[in-house]
Amino acid sequence: MKIKALALILVGAAATAGALFLLPANHATAQGPDNDAAQVWDAFGGNQQAQKYSTATQITPENVGNLKKAWDIHTGDVSSGPHETTWGATPLFVNNTVYVGTPKGRVFAVEPDTGKQKWIYAAGGANGKGENQGSKNRGVAYWAASAPAAGQPCQKMIYIGTQTGELHGVDADTGKPCAGFGKNGVVDVDAWTTANHKWKVGLIQPPAVYKDTLILGWAGLDWVYKVENPGTVYGIDARTGALKWTFNAIPQEEQNQTGTANVWAGISVDPETGLAFLPTSSPSPNYYGGDRLKEMPYVTATVAVNAETGEVKWARQLVHHDIWDVDINSAPTLVDLHKNGQTIPALVQANKMGLMVVLNRNTGEPVYPIVEKAYPASDVKGEVASRTQPFVPYPEPLVPEMMPPVSTLADVVSFGQCSRWKARIRDEGRYTPPSIRGSISWPATVGGVEWGGGAVDPTTGTYVVNSDMVPQIYSLIPRDEAKKMYGDAQRGENGYSAQEGSAYAFRLENFLNMWGMPCWAPPYGLLSSYDLNTGKLLWRKPFGQVQKWGFYMPESWGSVTIGAPVITKSGLVFIGASMDSRVRAIDLKTGNVLWKHIVDAPAVAQPAVYTYKGKQYVVFVAGGNGILTPRLSDQLVAFALPN
Amino acid sequence: MTSRHSTRGAWLIILASLIVMAICVYDYYTPETGLIGTGGTILVAVAGLLMLLAALVVAKVPNRSCLLQNFLVVSILLDIIGSSVAGYFLESPVIMAAEALALIGWLMNVIGDAADRSVEIDEVEDED
Repeated sequence: MKIKALALILVGAAATAGALFLLPANHATAQGPDNDAAQVWDAFGGNQQAQKYSTATQITPENVGNLKKAWDIHTGDVSSGPHETTWGATPLFVNNTVYVGTPKGRVFAVEPDTGKQKWIYAAGGANGKGENQGSKNRGVAYWAASAPAAGQPCQKMIYIGTQTGELHGVDADTGKPCAGFGKNGVVDVDAWTTANHKWKVGLIQPPAVYKDTLILGWAGLDWVYKVENPGTVYGIDARTGALKWTFNAIPQEEQNQTGTANVWAGISVDPETGLAFLPTSSPSPNYYGGDRLKEMPYVTATVAVNAETGEVKWARQLVHHDIWDVDINSAPTLVDLHKNGQTIPALVQANKMGLMVVLNRNTGEPVYPIVEKAYPASDVKGEVASRTQPFVPYPEPLVPEMMPPVSTLADVVSFGQCSRWKARIRDEGRYTPPSIRGSISWPATVGGVEWGGGAVDPTTGTYVVNSDMVPQIYSLIPRDEAKKMYGDAQRGENGYSAQEGSAYAFRLENFLNMWGMPCWAPPYGLLSSYDLNTGKLLWRKPFGQVQKWGFYMPESWGSVTIGAPVITKSGLVFIGASMDSRVRAIDLKTGNVLWKHIVDAPAVAQPAVYTYKGKQYVVFVAGGNGILTPRLSDQLVAFALPN
Repeated sequence: MTSRHSTRGAWLIILASLIVMAICVYDYYTPETGLIGTGGTILVAVAGLLMLLAALVVAKVPNRSCLLQNFLVVSILLDIIGSSVAGYFLESPVIMAAEALALIGWLMNVIGDAADRSVEIDEVEDED
């Protein structure tokens, strides 16, 4: 490690010198003869339970070293600048076709073994960075009629959302709009916003599917205004696009004080009970809660609702009075656990705070105890931080209570900038409230665990999840000062956001030195494996590599990751996610990297794994995300063993 | 005093420089390398260019001053070390191999130079 650090300095000298598992039968019947019915990937999370698990066994720890690129395509939907694209889609494999949505609102349907184009549908609706979410997409959803009408179109449909709040439904075989879905194949979801319409809702995440109901959340901007769109979740008729039900985490009487608490991440569904599990986000404005002190139990929570009616079955709030933007940000992973001779229908909700929350999915009761732990008070006038927060001591949290120490290397090369900065700001560990002088937010808004969540082997209860070790600095700016500094701008440089209508604006800074080096000691990203039946941590290793100016930092440093792993029955974990634009296969037993391959940009979503005509494929979207690196791409790439 | 040693070492350094620059250009424009558009490849390419120029002087200017000779020898060595380290962090074995080639050329140059000096001294002693 020291040698590498020294070598790093020498670099400077050189410069000077010059799946379908557990799915209901109606999905299985939609498969053609070429599919192995147990090895489709028909939802963002592999299946509606968000397990990210494949029963495929052709690629094993022994032969994965031989994995080669089978095919790749470039969609053309990539751009930087004001229309920068962020592509975190997971392709679907179903109906003998690979489907993927792009950040510019197009659906590509391609041959599973060659990548050859079958059809393209253009929904459009991408927008600029300044407008809600910009050009982003996390894929498409698939639905098949349980009793298809012979000879009729749209008995199998693909859905894609746009950044302008439209949900498009097209025939899965032809790519033609389904006339019976909304108006000529388009449902204007944004028009359903009933209050405080400040921006068009961004349909980034594909809906979950339960029988004939789509369950749809959306993304918004909860750091710009105090009062804005309430985060309504919609139950939609999969055939007609008609609105069946709504769920709102913000009580009606609070909607003149706050907004959002939307569901922007994935939603999982239990096909046996018909419960949908909604990970809700924080209310607006994100970082000052003095105007929304009333308890709202459904915000920053996991909420179980009836997938066909929206009726709440139970809710478990995981962050009280969120003033850190630590949304519950991934679809809960559903798995049956075996503990003390009993089978427990469970869900895992690893979260931004780096806690491993395991609940009984039928009741919301903790499988492993959740305690209320005391945390620091706010020193900001008007703010009342919750004195306690839910804490899960076991399974072992993914991040510790306090951020790592200041990096000696980063501090030395910046002439003490890091340590001086750290000394000026407030740092009392997890849940340090934002302050006017600046507070460490640990873990920061990137997590902990990001929106991909974890993967589980349902046969063994082995759970694998990537997590970040990133502090950021949160500063509140009194309104008068903010006006002087930024005028009436809603967003600005240095992570400024207005939180318009509240007493404070906000600034989010990355804790980096003058050279852009992290001011805290590595590792920056980890991959962990747990036995969920016992709660035991099986292994934890730094994951990925930081790449700066092309130089790869030591593997022991790990990388910030966005995306998620998948698990195969043969004992492999496939994951992209890291800054270094590599995709990797990892031994599920040991956590050792067995294979890696460079793709065109960071693969910031989980891959899809499927088997077609007897051959197993692992398909990554290599789209990149400006949060990680400026390297973006439009590559969809499949890997398989040579013939 | 002037230098008049064999230039084979210098030509080896020139060859290594050309390889380094070619690899950097390839890496800079090829997505599969993981180095597309990166500053690190530009840095190493520029270092390769500087090494090329220095080695050309060594090869083509036989009557160099002692000061220039020492400057070139030290500069080329620093370039080789720095570029090797950069190649290591770029995870580019080809760059590291080319730098090893350059190091061999540098050693040939230095050893040849020392031998030339020895001959010069012998000649001076003979004249005495």
